[in-house]
Amino acid sequence: MELDCRGRNARQEPDTMLIVDDDELNRAILENIFSPFYAIEPCENGKEGLDAILRLRGRVCAVLLDVVMPEMDGIQVLRVLAQERLPEQIPVFLITAEASGDTMREAYQLGVMDVISKPVIPYVVERRVNSVVELFQARRRLGNVVERQQSALLRQAEQIIGLSRGMIESLSTAIEFRNGESGEHVRRIHDITKYMLEHTELGDGLSPEDIDAISLAAIMHDVGKIAIPDAILNKPGRLTAEEFEIMKTHTLQGARLLERIPQMRELSAYRYACDIARHHHERWDGRGYPDGLKGEEISVWAQIVSLADVYDALVSKRVYKDAYGREKALGMIRDGACGTFNPSLLECFFRVEQELRYLYETPKEEKKDG
Amino acid sequence: MDDAIRASLAAAGIDVDEALERFMGSEAMLIRFLKKFPADQGFSALAAALEAGDREGAVGAAHTLKGLCGNLSIKPLFAGFDRQVGLMRAGEWDAAADMMPQLTQDYNRAVEAILALG
Repeated sequence: MELDCRGRNARQEPDTMLIVDDDELNRAILENIFSPFYAIEPCENGKEGLDAILRLRGRVCAVLLDVVMPEMDGIQVLRVLAQERLPEQIPVFLITAEASGDTMREAYQLGVMDVISKPVIPYVVERRVNSVVELFQARRRLGNVVERQQSALLRQAEQIIGLSRGMIESLSTAIEFRNGESGEHVRRIHDITKYMLEHTELGDGLSPEDIDAISLAAIMHDVGKIAIPDAILNKPGRLTAEEFEIMKTHTLQGARLLERIPQMRELSAYRYACDIARHHHERWDGRGYPDGLKGEEISVWAQIVSLADVYDALVSKRVYKDAYGREKALGMIRDGACGTFNPSLLECFFRVEQELRYLYETPKEEKKDG
Repeated sequence: MDDAIRASLAAAGIDVDEALERFMGSEAMLIRFLKKFPADQGFSALAAALEAGDREGAVGAAHTLKGLCGNLSIKPLFAGFDRQVGLMRAGEWDAAADMMPQLTQDYNRAVEAILALG
């Protein structure tokens, strides 16, 4: 609605010329010159002129102002206009029979665009006035165009951000679909990561933008699974040692895949995404893969995603297992059945786990390898 | 406008071509405003103000007459009032008053030529 109004205003150019002169003949001459170009509003003295300018301001494209007039002279009118900063928006022309040095200086200081002497020479006054009116129109139009372009660019930037996010989510979800899951897993990993960063000391020192970037990066933790054969990815039951070695390569493949998308590097999520894809199976005691990182060598975000991934796998149904109950899952995490985690990470996790349960309330069962 | 009228206006110091240009070629408009000139009270107001020593009234009347004669291209009167306004603003009131006989003569000549338009 508001946009609509502004659009209409922008299209409606001011088209009214005010001719402020106490002399009928002067008004008639100027009106005769300018009536082919503008709607003319004649005013018989300074006071009347000032009232008309203030009343019609949005429609006025030029003011022709006599100096010596009853009620209020041209300079007095100008002083009021200058206070309202109107000569910046509406070109004012002083039309005068005798402009003394002082009058002319003050008029220009108050913002008149031109001082034109009387008796006027039509082709001269026409050119001088019309050129300036066109200049103001062009400036206004350009200002509107720039404004419109700016908001269009902002909208486009938002669309692009949304689109990038959509692409990332689609890619991750598509990979999840491949092993028969619905996409809820990546959504929950995103939500758990974000929740823990926002509600525990794990997020200390991170800005809301960092947290958004990390949560988006968490979505991509398993993109490397695109390179794992179906027979392994969707095998019900235990993997052989050889199959497990292949499965483990999804971490390296994921990081490699992300590194090969040049556009990804522009995203603030990029460095988190590579790190998380590569290191979300590392463990605190150094017994994870692929690099065997230990303790603080593993970034906080990779640690959070590892734990979120394990937790989600335990409480969801997978091709190789049924969903475990909450107590059993928490017990297994506490006992290190899925590898060793940072004690302070676990402490934070158990503190907020009750709230994390809410993330599971709407969607039903999930299945996915960790 | 026929040549005789144009010649008599020119003889009274009126530059018809210049005036017509100011009225964007509209002869009707020029004649309409020329015909108002003899009835204009400005000149008698000027004379009366000078007589009475009303300086503000005099400079206002002379200024208006200057504008009027300028617009109608009554050249000698425009030049005369222009000079007279200048003298008044400079405080040279005697010199301004001294211009009146010449101005009156030029004024009457212009009025006569205009009245001859019918």
